[in-house]
Amino acid sequence: MEGAKTNRSGAMGGASMNVPLFVTAAHELKSPLALMRQLSLAIESGDCSPAEIARISHQITLTSERALRLTTDLTRTSRLEDSLFTLEPINPMSLCEEVIEEVRPLYWAKGRSIRLEKRARPLLALANKDLLRRILLNFADNALHYSAEDSPVIISAKAFGSGEHVRVGVRDYGPSLPTDLSSAHSLHSRPESSGLGVFIVNQFAQAMQSSVGTIRHRDGATFYVDLSASTQMRLL
Amino acid sequence: MSHKVVVIDDDIWMAEQYVRTLKSDGFSAHHAPNAIDGLDLIDTIQPDAVVLDMFMPGPNGMVLLHELASHEDLSRIPVVVSTNNASDVPPEHIARYGVREVIDKTTMQPSDISRAVRRAL
Repeated sequence: MEGAKTNRSGAMGGASMNVPLFVTAAHELKSPLALMRQLSLAIESGDCSPAEIARISHQITLTSERALRLTTDLTRTSRLEDSLFTLEPINPMSLCEEVIEEVRPLYWAKGRSIRLEKRARPLLALANKDLLRRILLNFADNALHYSAEDSPVIISAKAFGSGEHVRVGVRDYGPSLPTDLSSAHSLHSRPESSGLGVFIVNQFAQAMQSSVGTIRHRDGATFYVDLSASTQMRLL
Repeated sequence: MSHKVVVIDDDIWMAEQYVRTLKSDGFSAHHAPNAIDGLDLIDTIQPDAVVLDMFMPGPNGMVLLHELASHEDLSRIPVVVSTNNASDVPPEHIARYGVREVIDKTTMQPSDISRAVRRAL
């Protein structure tokens, strides 16, 4: 994401993109649209068995759902300034489970797996449920694309900062992020990525007064969102 | 004996279609989901042609083209580039890497992949 502000803590900053948003969005949508077209043409060719047609149809459905998530996110992004978002106490583990259920068919169809890292102690974070869900869906989608075939993507949530904050992260095991901060792409978007997903999650995070960031690993990356912990938790 | 083709593309469903079409047209087709695995596959099976996506996680298609060009035996393998952004890949920039053709994924017909490989051989 060119033009993004970065800091040493790894927080993803800035929300402007040097390339116009519609150009980046068009670029991102090309891939699923081109794939759906090829899959449709394959079915139209008449060379596919009934089993292949069923499988390809399922691939078209999953690909279109992924593209629709992107268009919905973009629409939502354009309306953020005009909207007020209610922050409420949310159990991040339950939301992570919902996100995993939503993306599992796509993961399964691509031969990948995703799981939740269980924790013993309950957590309660202040967030807007819809925006947090969209951030995590973006992270999960990103991880699917970049994770290795034999390594599950892991979603986890933990408290930090003396229990004042909650971090929800999506860890993938795939190509490492670039180390050169001065390169055309920032630390936080993959070298071949347009950075649109990063832009979207930044917008959503800012709308609910939270922040997103990345941790670079030798064998992949963790994309995370930091939220304020709900004070209700301390009353329990 | 059928010609061997290695398809290198991170979009596994797109690659599946390429492999299916190539096999149906008499080629022996194999798939790798990234440049590193692709190079291993090329080393192993010594293909007659490579179908290469340009934008992939990790080393991209351009990196692989550089690598192929640096080995005398591999530099002779013809490459067909297949991309969603054909206009961003000027043929004159990649012709010296053995790229015979650039296919636009957004406009191609399924049979174009076999035709391009045949022309490249």
